Amino acid sequence: MVERMIGFKCRDCGRMTYQTRARCPNCKGKNFEEVELGDECKLLTYTKLYVLPEGVETSSLLLGMVEFPNGVRASGQLIGDHIKVGMKLRPRWGKLRKLGGKDIYGFKFEPIGE
Amino acid sequence: MRDVAIIGCGMTKFGRLEGRGLMDLLVEASLKAIDDASVGDRDFSAVSVANFAAGEFVHQSAIASALVDQLGLLPAAADRVENGTASGGSAVKNGFLAVASGAYDLVLVVGGEKMTHLNTKIVTDVLATMGHPSAEYEQGITLPSLAAMFTRLYMERFGVTERHLAMVAVKNHANALKNPYAHFQRAVTIDEVMNSAMIADPLRLYHCCPISDGAAALVLCPAEEARKYSDTPIRISGFGQAADMHAIHEREDPTVVKAVKLASRDAFEMSKLNPSDIDVAELHDAFVILEIAESEDAGFFKKGEGTKALGEGKTALGGELPINPSGGLKARGHPIGATGVAQIVELTLQLQSEAGGRQVEGAERAYSCNLCGFGTNVVAHILERMR
Repeated sequence: MVERMIGFKCRDCGRMTYQTRARCPNCKGKNFEEVELGDECKLLTYTKLYVLPEGVETSSLLLGMVEFPNGVRASGQLIGDHIKVGMKLRPRWGKLRKLGGKDIYGFKFEPIGE
Repeated sequence: MRDVAIIGCGMTKFGRLEGRGLMDLLVEASLKAIDDASVGDRDFSAVSVANFAAGEFVHQSAIASALVDQLGLLPAAADRVENGTASGGSAVKNGFLAVASGAYDLVLVVGGEKMTHLNTKIVTDVLATMGHPSAEYEQGITLPSLAAMFTRLYMERFGVTERHLAMVAVKNHANALKNPYAHFQRAVTIDEVMNSAMIADPLRLYHCCPISDGAAALVLCPAEEARKYSDTPIRISGFGQAADMHAIHEREDPTVVKAVKLASRDAFEMSKLNPSDIDVAELHDAFVILEIAESEDAGFFKKGEGTKALGEGKTALGGELPINPSGGLKARGHPIGATGVAQIVELTLQLQSEAGGRQVEGAERAYSCNLCGFGTNVVAHILERMR
């Protein structure tokens, strides 16, 4: 199954955002439509985290902030070793961490062409 | 609105305070402030208690009710104020508004946190819950990782170097050496900071504030009555508060802490002052990059020029605008709920010429800035010596 990363577009003013909201931060509209964010985004900044919160079982974690061509941004875990600002990434569904004993899944980002 | 004055202040030492619970710390800071205000056994109309996570950290709720009972201040209107890491700033603002409105005359504002008894993974996790639940927290994103991503952007865009970051830590540790209340009583060198353990690349251990216990308190009353209690009352002449996008990646410009800009603009407007009128400032340096960014976004220096001012010694004790004479969150420590109140305790002492070896000579006007999360919600205050 291919999971596609979805964002939300305000039906009133057209503002797009990754997260859902009760009202649009731009025009206070309450009607949104789902939009596919696409298969390619660009890395804006990142970090390799060594002090992990409870529930993350690896010894380090690569995290980054990405931007899609439509301007929507998201944050999340990165897959791979050779990470550089500006590189092209694509969303990939995977296990993120444990919370309250349960596995949590979501989108991570991996370099395109590896 | 009535003018509001601070007529007393007090705080515990910050640090790893073994054998002392949250309530012990809140009581100590409160009694010190009440004694300092010379209000004797007068009743208080209200008590505003800043605390971030008593439920998660010490398994206690309704701590404001518990505290007024401990202090013999029944039946004062007691509330716990929670606004993440800006809980302290919010409690001061609420106390200010309560007196300014005329609703209450004598108000105690106290903030505290007990957190050093827990392991770092748990504390890090509880702090991370300030982030956006699905877009940040579930991903494993913590406050240090947000600070690291912000630092990398800042370094690329404004030429901030590892040496600049280290200079903030060195300065604030040097200031804390002169502050008996500070968590760290130890100087650090540029090399020590630059070689300390990596927490979240490019962020190192000495770029981050410690986990601390502590409490701080203030007594507020109408300015026109302040001289009855204190020879050196300090007026709260302005405040501002602003919120920004919950998920950091959604901010217009991820290198601008917009809520600092807006909160500061409002605080300056209310006090009819400009950033150039300020003699001393306490900024929210939970991560050293924040001291640099806030010094710009609050309006003290142009965007991108905070490091220039730092390099020229303008922000050191003896400089044009000393920042964090207390040692800041970096070295005084950051017991979450206490921080915003402790910033104002420090500035009160500075304006009263009671800050000892870290005194900023002739300080008359002061500015503070307290952040929730990584700038999601910001409270700024301006204080002035009363003539």
